[in-house]
Amino acid sequence: MESSNTTEVKDLGSLLLDVGIMLLSSGASCSRIRLTITRIASAFNYHCYTTIGPKSVSLTLNQDDDNSLFNGMRSINQQGVNLKLISGISRLSWDVVIKNLSIPEIKNELNRLSALPHYPRLIILFLVSLSGASFCYLFGGNAIEMLITFGATFIGLFVRQEAIKKKFNQYFCVYFGALAASLFAGAFIKAGLPIDLEHAFATCVLFLIPGVPLINSFTDLIDGNIQNGMVRGINGLMIAFSIALGLVTAMHIYNFK
Amino acid sequence: MNELILFEKFFWFGFAALGFGILFNAPPRTLFAIWLGGAIGGILKIILLYYNKDAIVLASFTGAIAVGIISIPIAHYRHVPPMIFAIPSVIPLIPGVFAYRTTLGFIKLTGAIGADYNTILAETMNNGLKTLFILMSLAVGVAIPMHVMRKESAKNIRLIKK
Repeated sequence: MESSNTTEVKDLGSLLLDVGIMLLSSGASCSRIRLTITRIASAFNYHCYTTIGPKSVSLTLNQDDDNSLFNGMRSINQQGVNLKLISGISRLSWDVVIKNLSIPEIKNELNRLSALPHYPRLIILFLVSLSGASFCYLFGGNAIEMLITFGATFIGLFVRQEAIKKKFNQYFCVYFGALAASLFAGAFIKAGLPIDLEHAFATCVLFLIPGVPLINSFTDLIDGNIQNGMVRGINGLMIAFSIALGLVTAMHIYNFK
Repeated sequence: MNELILFEKFFWFGFAALGFGILFNAPPRTLFAIWLGGAIGGILKIILLYYNKDAIVLASFTGAIAVGIISIPIAHYRHVPPMIFAIPSVIPLIPGVFAYRTTLGFIKLTGAIGADYNTILAETMNNGLKTLFILMSLAVGVAIPMHVMRKESAKNIRLIKK
């Protein structure tokens, strides 16, 4: 009896760490990570205490008598945004509560979720470019400027994806993306087309904006996770700085004033 | 206000949000909701700006609150956490042009101190603060409806009393 209990708590502990790490690396806010972990742990009648660092999750599982049964920690190095994973894990945590899933079943479901494919690359490129063109229209651009922004976003995102594949530093990836996009947009202005610099230049790099880090940063700050909030905020600022650096490089190359 | 232009903007705000939904790998069942949420938040901002040109921060804040409020029934209907829907939907409200002008201003400020230095300083400060406050109001606006309900999960919020 004693031994089967210890294996269960070990399995559950490593499972919860997996859940926490998957959520953290796909861009969930701290309160969501804590909520999901606690929800699954309490479905198995354990108390769970978590610490969420900027790149790590550690937790302790206790039973009612407050004896510590499991201590563990796990860390990540790569962060991205994957909303499909967050919503999948959220659904899974409710299934655990409602349908009483067993630990192997949860493990299978987690494996299935992490193997879920992204959208096809061409669809991502096309729709993100379309959203770049929409931004251009909303900031007052005309049809030609929208087309240029579409092309610039397409090329910028392509370059960034390739840079990520080649495992460059994440800020370098953003810089390359911004540089490629603004070089493409700037070429048309240099060629003498009557284009408003602000419309084409300001909107062609908008696909890089660190929306998720900045919004998560404030969400964490409001919830009192000050440390994580600050880390995410500075990460967002670094990305914004990389974008600016890319723009400035292109402007100096083309000698725009 | 011209209704046709308003409708066009509604349409394009939606696509701006949709692109980010795809980029962030949002589940397919939420994509239409993201399109609609982005469009509603954006159009609300445009309408408010029409009545008061200077209130860009307040207009963005209202748009974000609208997205936050819509996100709760969507979360119920589509069985996703509200943030899945809310984050791509508020991205079209992000002040891209102000951020761009701020960056350019900072670069100009690193140059020589000329006659128009004070003007550039004032403009950069203005644009930078607008960017900062709009970003803050977006994050807070999305979170407010959840905090007002005082529930940690959207699933615990009962829309219709049983």
